[in-house]
Amino acid sequence: MATRTNSRPPPAKQPDAPRVAGPTAGGRTAEREKPLYEQVESQTAIAFEELVSKPSFGRLLAMTGENVAALARIGSDSADLALRNLRLASRADMTRLARQLHRTEDKLERVLQEVEALRDQLASADTANHDSRRNGVDRP
Amino acid sequence: MSVIERIASAPSELFELANVLLTTDAAAIGVTPREVVWTHRGTTLYRYRSSQRLHAVPLLLVFALINRPEIFDLRPGASLIEFLLKEGFDVFLVDWGVPDEEDADMGLEDYVCDELHWAVRETLRASGASELSLVGWCIGATLCAMYCGLEQPDDPRAAQSGEAVTPVRNLVLLTMPIDGRGSRYATWVGDEDFDVERVAEAWRVIPGGAVDFANKLLKPVSNFWTTYRRLADGIADGTFSRSSYQPMAKWIADNPPFPGRAWAQWIRMMYRDDALARGRVRLRGNRVDLARIDQNLLVVTAAADHIAPRAGTMPIFDLVSSEDVTHFDRPGGHIGLIAGSAAANDIWPELGDWLAERSDR
Repeated sequence: MATRTNSRPPPAKQPDAPRVAGPTAGGRTAEREKPLYEQVESQTAIAFEELVSKPSFGRLLAMTGENVAALARIGSDSADLALRNLRLASRADMTRLARQLHRTEDKLERVLQEVEALRDQLASADTANHDSRRNGVDRP
Repeated sequence: MSVIERIASAPSELFELANVLLTTDAAAIGVTPREVVWTHRGTTLYRYRSSQRLHAVPLLLVFALINRPEIFDLRPGASLIEFLLKEGFDVFLVDWGVPDEEDADMGLEDYVCDELHWAVRETLRASGASELSLVGWCIGATLCAMYCGLEQPDDPRAAQSGEAVTPVRNLVLLTMPIDGRGSRYATWVGDEDFDVERVAEAWRVIPGGAVDFANKLLKPVSNFWTTYRRLADGIADGTFSRSSYQPMAKWIADNPPFPGRAWAQWIRMMYRDDALARGRVRLRGNRVDLARIDQNLLVVTAAADHIAPRAGTMPIFDLVSSEDVTHFDRPGGHIGLIAGSAAANDIWPELGDWLAERSDR
């Protein structure tokens, strides 16, 4: 196996354009502030990325996810129970119905595929028969 | 601009910023004309209308289970599908739809063995071709690789040759994760203490917002602050382009839920067991062995990809048995590499040329 790697380095960073002095003192201040601000922002971004890479942050996030999922489940089950007691269709009932529809659709899809396969077989058999008959007739 | 001028213009800039953010959802994405070829459950197979088909082998595009496949067709002038149609390809797209609680039991085997398998079948039927090119992106690429590497004991040709028999002639894998253990996700969900099955069971479908939040948390300052700060800067200095920003922002914010079972399988396979690279994944009893991939293979990696880091894709080259393997390694991010503003001039023509060379009878 020969792997052809076509690698391209990132575009070289263009040298900073010469700073053009602004027309006002306020403009010059803003020009000076902007790179400083961007530097602070990029350092903060790096610091936060390091923070989220820590295993302890991962554990915190995982536990938060588990707790939120459990709370969502409790809320959903409680709402379903309340609706069912009111003799109204709940989310769980709709889901059950949708699953039954999916199962029916799965079966229909498989039946359709079988029908198409049989139709293809019939078509190819027809073609073969037709060819053999024609060859038989044409043959001297 | 003086301080007074800046203060004076601030209200109108704020107003425009609010307008941009509030009207983002109205941006048109995925507008290239297409027709529905086949549907099953939430999955839909689309075919894009074309008047100039030059290549015999059709393309089937497969996107991830997170986010929507409209990224392939973001906006006119910045649409990979539009580009591929102009290049003369017959383009099909599989859309996994928006799963809901009733899809909670869908696992990776349902996506690979049913939905993708049947989408391939329908693509061939609709196009009249006997082979196709499979183009997968992100999780979609992993699903495509699994499909091509899946044992098919029922197929007599496969049993005879011992090789995978699929109608896939060319396989294109864009920023695909194979081994995610080195990624930041693994730090979060790789610990066995985190009970993925329990979370999946409790949530049934993992909300798209939760998946999106986790993705954004990989680069919290960039995603939660810098994006909006740059947007405000662009509005202030007049360089902001509404037509570029809004379609991408809309696409990023559109997160379908992830079926719980498939999500739990994905976490285990990708971030805990390295099961795919080790050939330990079984779908409905059939082993997924990436060594069975013998198609013409193009792998595209992005140097600054923090979602599917390049190092997590590289093992594929040691696993496949393809004779024709090409690797494009480019600067860029997970999505920006293929859908960014530079993609139309950079990676798309190369991708089109690679496919064109391998897509004729």
